[in-house]
Amino acid sequence: MLPELSIREELLNNLRAAYARMWVRLRGANRDPTALAAEIGLPILTIGAYVILYRAIGFPATAGAAVIIGGAMIAFWTNVLWNMSSQWFWEREQGNLEMYLVAPVSRMSILLGMAMGGGLNTAIRALGIVLLGIFIFQVPFQLKEPLLVGVVFVLTLVALYALGMLFASLFMLYGREAWNTANLLQEPVYFLSGAYFPGFYGPIVPFAIQAAGSLIPMTIGLDAIRRLAIGGGDIASVWLHIIALVACTLILFPIARRTLSYMESLGKREGRLTLRWQ
Amino acid sequence: MAIADFVKSARESFRVGWKIESNWTDPVLFATYQIIRPLASLLIVGFIVILGAASSQYLAWVIVGSAFYAYVLQVMLGMAILVFVDRNRYEVLKNIYISPGTLHPYVIGRGLVSVLNGTISVVLTLLFSVAIFNGLLHMNIPLNLLGVNLLMLLPAVVLGIISLLAIGYMLCAVNIVSNRMEFVLGDSVSGVFFLLGGVIFPISLLPGPVQYVSNVLPVTYFLDTVRESFGLPTPGNYMSNLAILGLTTLAALILGISVFRLAERRAKRLGLFDRKSEY
Repeated sequence: MLPELSIREELLNNLRAAYARMWVRLRGANRDPTALAAEIGLPILTIGAYVILYRAIGFPATAGAAVIIGGAMIAFWTNVLWNMSSQWFWEREQGNLEMYLVAPVSRMSILLGMAMGGGLNTAIRALGIVLLGIFIFQVPFQLKEPLLVGVVFVLTLVALYALGMLFASLFMLYGREAWNTANLLQEPVYFLSGAYFPGFYGPIVPFAIQAAGSLIPMTIGLDAIRRLAIGGGDIASVWLHIIALVACTLILFPIARRTLSYMESLGKREGRLTLRWQ
Repeated sequence: MAIADFVKSARESFRVGWKIESNWTDPVLFATYQIIRPLASLLIVGFIVILGAASSQYLAWVIVGSAFYAYVLQVMLGMAILVFVDRNRYEVLKNIYISPGTLHPYVIGRGLVSVLNGTISVVLTLLFSVAIFNGLLHMNIPLNLLGVNLLMLLPAVVLGIISLLAIGYMLCAVNIVSNRMEFVLGDSVSGVFFLLGGVIFPISLLPGPVQYVSNVLPVTYFLDTVRESFGLPTPGNYMSNLAILGLTTLAALILGISVFRLAERRAKRLGLFDRKSEY
């Protein structure tokens, strides 16, 4: 009989698995400089269209800055959709899912590795988008609390990737639905998060849209980052956002864990964990 | 290859494509899926125009441009991913290639599925736009869907679709000889058209040298002629815009077919029709 692992050994095993999954993601996504350049340059096309539209209808230059931050945050949402939510679908298609399921580690550690790798990869791209956007469109920023921006940014990512873990669990048994659902969740979330608006929590955006948008952690984080980086705000202007982001993480993470266990056992019962070409 | 055989192959390809794209869910959810994406994009621009207190005529101009941009999105994204999906996921590209019909009618048939999806999106987006902006928000935008001049609209849409299919042909060609571009290509090309094609603002607002690029894109004239059929103001007149649309479409067709043939030959020589890549 094999010896039981201590809690420390089990924790180390899971951390190693998370690190390994993160390493694969970092290595895979950054080995092709053309793709990296495209992922930074592509969002600038859409951002550019909105910046020109804002200029055309007489908005102040800060509206352009808001769009650039929004465009950078969209990169994270896209990553959450395609590289977290749909990931089990890709893994199943490639035959990796069964290997994850028989490995002696928690599935959550695999998701954690995906999230860390995806978050780091996208942070590199988001930084590129912001710098390129500032360079091309010459928009003003008013950053008084860079450390606080960093804290809010990290809290936003943690909450957003916790949502990604939940989606990954929900999408686990999807076939073509995974692809189509990820597609479906792009533009509506760009709208609901106010990514391309100069401000979201204002009198002009209807309350129902603000309430629906607030269910997405990116909306809250994006508004807080804009207040700090463009409006020159301080902790007093974003403390509610910080509480909301922490609450999102505390709620979403355990739900993701339970959902993953449920979907895995459902998949086993229905024999759908290795089903391909659906 | 006889025209009848070509049409038959394209029709079968269309049937397969339609089933792949639509039978993953029930028709109601599928229709919802078709409407939500373009409608959300339209609402983003609509809210910006409302925030900026721009004229209702400008909003109508943006609505028509954004609605018909759905053709661009559907064809570019659909055709950019086609080769990847059939080669990597379903592993049937080599079978299609060695079948008597060859790849050409297959690609055309699948492209037409994107056109059908685009048509559904355009119609639903226009209907919902009028319902939201005129019905719910009482903005009185000058957009009369029943007053559209079909004699002006139809040639513009037909030429626009042919030009988009020709560009989609080029995207398929690039993907036949490459195995890392499938997720970037469709977004890149549709992004360029979104910025330079006069979708949400007139191209006269672009910097001077960039306008030269806009002036050779068929999408620019496609959207201009479509707007004119809705009675909205555009630079130039309908006939000259339609003539330039015809010329740019012809150029795109020649280029598309040539690039595709070159890619086909290269793929045959290097054995790329069954190359899989998983990363």
